[in-house]
Amino acid sequence: MPEEPDIELSFRGGRLVSALPIALFIAWAIFQSGILGIGDTTGLVAGMLTGLIVGLLFVRGDWKDYADVVFAGMTRRVAATAVVAWLWAGMFAETIQVGGFVDGLVWAATVLNVGPGLFPAVTFLLAALLATGIGTGYGTAIAFTSLVFPAGLLLGANPVLLFGAILSGAVFGDNLAPVSDTTIVSAVTQDADIGGVVASRVKYAVVAATLAIAAYLVAGFGIPGVWGGMPYVDVAGEVSASVSPWGLVHLLDIAVVIALAVRGRHIIEAVSWGLLLAAAFNVALGAANLVDVSVGSMLLFSAPQNGLTQAVEALPLLGAVVETVPAGQVGVGGSVYSGAAGFFPLIVLTLLLVAGAEVMRAGGGFDAIQELVIDRVATTVRRAETTMVVGTALVNATVTINTAAEIAIAPYVATLGKRFNINGYRRANILDANTSALGYIFPWGGGLLAGYGAMQGLVGGEATPWFTAEMLVNPASVFPYVFHGWFLVAVFLFAAWTGYGREYVSDRTSEEVSRV
Amino acid sequence: MSRLDKLLAGWTFRTATPTFEPGEVITAYVSERNGDGLTVRIGDSIIRVEDGRGAAVEDKIRLEVTSFDATNHVGTGEVVEVLGPDA
Repeated sequence: MPEEPDIELSFRGGRLVSALPIALFIAWAIFQSGILGIGDTTGLVAGMLTGLIVGLLFVRGDWKDYADVVFAGMTRRVAATAVVAWLWAGMFAETIQVGGFVDGLVWAATVLNVGPGLFPAVTFLLAALLATGIGTGYGTAIAFTSLVFPAGLLLGANPVLLFGAILSGAVFGDNLAPVSDTTIVSAVTQDADIGGVVASRVKYAVVAATLAIAAYLVAGFGIPGVWGGMPYVDVAGEVSASVSPWGLVHLLDIAVVIALAVRGRHIIEAVSWGLLLAAAFNVALGAANLVDVSVGSMLLFSAPQNGLTQAVEALPLLGAVVETVPAGQVGVGGSVYSGAAGFFPLIVLTLLLVAGAEVMRAGGGFDAIQELVIDRVATTVRRAETTMVVGTALVNATVTINTAAEIAIAPYVATLGKRFNINGYRRANILDANTSALGYIFPWGGGLLAGYGAMQGLVGGEATPWFTAEMLVNPASVFPYVFHGWFLVAVFLFAAWTGYGREYVSDRTSEEVSRV
Repeated sequence: MSRLDKLLAGWTFRTATPTFEPGEVITAYVSERNGDGLTVRIGDSIIRVEDGRGAAVEDKIRLEVTSFDATNHVGTGEVVEVLGPDA
């Protein structure tokens, strides 16, 4: 973790005013997506920009310091990591999708007789498995929304419930995976070894996941009132009688990505290998006429018609990625292009949000909250643990990117926990579970936005021509259905109150921090 | 500790007021400093140490419990070793 810069800011009205940019953004997000029902990420970018400008007006002294803090936030490594993960995962997921993977899943679900009722519960389990393997909940949300979500819709599963199940699986993996960035942050900041942290959190994750599976089964098969109140889009008629199983070969390149990630390879390296393999499969499947895919599905330059472009189009090799079109349809396309482009608004939003969090740190907003909590609220071990759970949950409910929120709250959890000699494993578990859970529930949560970005990519996508803008799940409507996230928070509130899973420093000291 | 032991540790409901036996040596963080003395809270149980040997709040110490009243969850102890703050 890089050292925080030394710039401190002073705000008119006190330290809590430093939270103004983020507070304004949250109000904007609630107004835009919660009340008006507009799930436009670029609209949220405008909200965060407005917040940062309004915050500037309250700065005492040199406004240049405020600008420097904004820059310091945007150049944080955590922001760059999120950007890279989204670009690469976006390209990969889209490339698999044009390769017929959705059709393959529909074929498998039909053969295995997984109906619309069972589909959300199965999706939760598979998403949890993938996320635990690759350690990125955002990547899982993107991959499953691009690939499994349309398959579920074609089978007649409820879209809102299905999106909730995908996000739940992402929460599970983000929480439990040894290679997850939130897991690593939780272990490192609480002075505990990663293996011990993961082993000790199974007892909470399993309880919450069991409840979540039951909930998805009950909701999937439809209790009256739950099913009836959900928007339901019937596209089941779109399932072709003869969907091809061949897209399932892409399970191989997914396996390659997971295997490389688990071995500790960098996400750029792991996903690039998967992408190359997927592209090779697509070319082979297309050449063998097994799936309707070609090089042009992955990259296509649509050029205006003239002598030069027509000559290029006629060339061998290069001509495969060039077509000539009427002037109005000129552009670049294909899965590599649209997979990455789908995340541009979210990437800009992330950079601005991390800047907002940095302003709050430099202005003392985080410190003000800490002092209030430690001295007045956390007077017994139960109240201290409850405060750790609620505090972590609240910070993560407000800061979009959960790794950033976790880094911000981690020192408070350490100070509060050490005061009552709560074991490092327990502290890390409280920190990570509530970080993972809340990042995928609310409409401005990074995990939810990542999935939603992928869903927007389905509109008019080459592999999903039937998916229209009306079928998009409103990001503000999914929060009640992220069952695993809610159950995880509930399990920790229960554990704080009853002492379930509690360990003291004197019971067992955590081992040295080591990278696995 | 083996991986299996790590997996099976802590599947219990642990009390908010743990008890200790005189002579027991434990590791704990310092919760508060009062003059030369220290207060160590383990959950809601409190162990008081008269000679803190310079240990600061959030320092880890090795501590020998010298007495413990299980009814009021209060005891006394002596510093065996100051391990210092976490890395």
